[in-house]
Amino acid sequence: MATRENNLNLQSGSLLIRILIGVFVAFMGLFILGPLVWLGLQAFTTSWTFPSWKPNGWTLIWWQRVFETPSMVEAIRNSFITAPIVVLVSAVICLPAAYAAARYNYIGRRVFLIGMFAANSFPKLGLFASIATLFYTLNLMGTMVGVIIIQLLGTIIYMTWIPAAAFAAVPKNLEEAARDAGASKFRVFRGITLRMAAPGILVAMVMSFISAFDEAQGTYLVGAPQIFTMPTEMYSLVLTYPVQIAAVFSILLAVPSVVLIGLARKQIIGGQLAEGFQIR
Amino acid sequence: MATSNIVATKEGFAEIKTAKLSTLGFFMALPPVLVIILFVGLPIFVAFTFSIGYTGGPNRVISIIGQDIFKKDSWWGTASAYTTVFKDPRFIPDLVVTLVVTFLSTFIVLFMAMGMGLYQRIKGGRVASILSMLSLVPLFVPVVIAAYAIAQFYNGVGFMRTFMSQFGIEFPVITATRNAIVIGTVWTSLPFAILMITSGLQSVPNALIETAQDAGASFMRIVRTILIPLAFVPIVIAGTFTAIGIMGSFTVPLFLGPNQPTMLGVEISNFFTAYNRPQQSIVMAFVIFAAASGIAVLYIWANVRSARQSGRI
Repeated sequence: MATRENNLNLQSGSLLIRILIGVFVAFMGLFILGPLVWLGLQAFTTSWTFPSWKPNGWTLIWWQRVFETPSMVEAIRNSFITAPIVVLVSAVICLPAAYAAARYNYIGRRVFLIGMFAANSFPKLGLFASIATLFYTLNLMGTMVGVIIIQLLGTIIYMTWIPAAAFAAVPKNLEEAARDAGASKFRVFRGITLRMAAPGILVAMVMSFISAFDEAQGTYLVGAPQIFTMPTEMYSLVLTYPVQIAAVFSILLAVPSVVLIGLARKQIIGGQLAEGFQIR
Repeated sequence: MATSNIVATKEGFAEIKTAKLSTLGFFMALPPVLVIILFVGLPIFVAFTFSIGYTGGPNRVISIIGQDIFKKDSWWGTASAYTTVFKDPRFIPDLVVTLVVTFLSTFIVLFMAMGMGLYQRIKGGRVASILSMLSLVPLFVPVVIAAYAIAQFYNGVGFMRTFMSQFGIEFPVITATRNAIVIGTVWTSLPFAILMITSGLQSVPNALIETAQDAGASFMRIVRTILIPLAFVPIVIAGTFTAIGIMGSFTVPLFLGPNQPTMLGVEISNFFTAYNRPQQSIVMAFVIFAAASGIAVLYIWANVRSARQSGRI
């Protein structure tokens, strides 16, 4: 809606410009979607001999193979254990802070909020190697707890800044009116504040889940060779298994992101995500 | 809806910043800060002491496990680990590849994001929304899949070669080259830059652009003197975040790059685990931190500016 009102018609498109734009859109389509579609196709092929434009045959055998391989099943299980735990821990740690940022003034408020960016301002692999050094002493290398901490770091910005904006957007006079009508503090929080901030919190949770679920580089450094999640399993998988297996695994790995984004699509397109990214 | 929400958010924050100090608020806000101090600040401090030869205390275990550990030999430590890394014939080419890829990819990402953002701002319409939908796809694809899919697309038996061979054209094998890393990093970095820059450009008021137009300003002049200055902070955030992300990347150069020379992210991981030379791995990490420090300062500065503009701090 808002974008349509914003449009200005500065240029009247000549034919040449329109062709150029068409070529660019086609190029972007190939550049972005091409690799995904190509890999997706491989998951259903028996084999593919190079110059041929179509595969030698179609099959579903690779899907069965993935679920018959214990290491892959375990990676799937690990991923579905760690990611939800990360989201829960992150919510417990960050949501009160998000509420505080929106409703209280306190010493160091500004420093606290800016400090959240620290995790993002170091090149990732350097940071992970530094953390791993300390993890040896703390006995966290190759443990679930170590992996959870690594994945938690990537969620903190989402879990504080997006819900903070959502809490701040809840009108205070609405809360006061409810208090005047005799509602208890807890009831006002649950019935009004939390409910109105829920879309923002949901987006933060979706983004945190995806961030934790997809985290590969740090999980690999800290978790391997004891703990493999789905993304880190891919590292060893691409070296030792045929491309079709990796293709099947890729599709499985992409499912949670696609489903979650689909569920939260309304809020995300409604600007909560852009709002969240603006402050990342 | 979206705009009224932003206004409400702004008012909500404005009210809070002048409220009296609250102890409860302080303690509620503390946990994430503690996590950052414990698992970002502390490890980086401890790792730095390790890199200059402090092998006791929290560095004791890694000093026993790792090979080629240099212990401090003067009151402040030792630079031996640093000189060893810089004398390693692999290191300088790796550093060069890292910096070149970072520069090239950031430049291409910003250029494409600016182009698409401006197109959407000025022209809008169906084509613009198709483009922005397309460019957001990589946001939801795990980087491991992306890197692997791109490798399969451009390798010896990949789509590009298969497709071109139908017309008798020999398309080059791109994988295992520096260019493949650039393609991969552009692919994965594009969505964030586009989100950032598009929302920055959308917030420039129409009235300003129309006035300049009425005064006879050309398209390029409007872009140069109005749109870019007013969307400067989001552009800086997009550029710095992209550059920092690329400098510390591992998966894309691992899957798409050559074995040697490669980006330092891959080398840091190799030295840490495969070669069991953690001290030299940490030295490389600090070289990367030093190279990124200017960009990181700019990144934080721009985020502070942006947070101030939106009334958060």
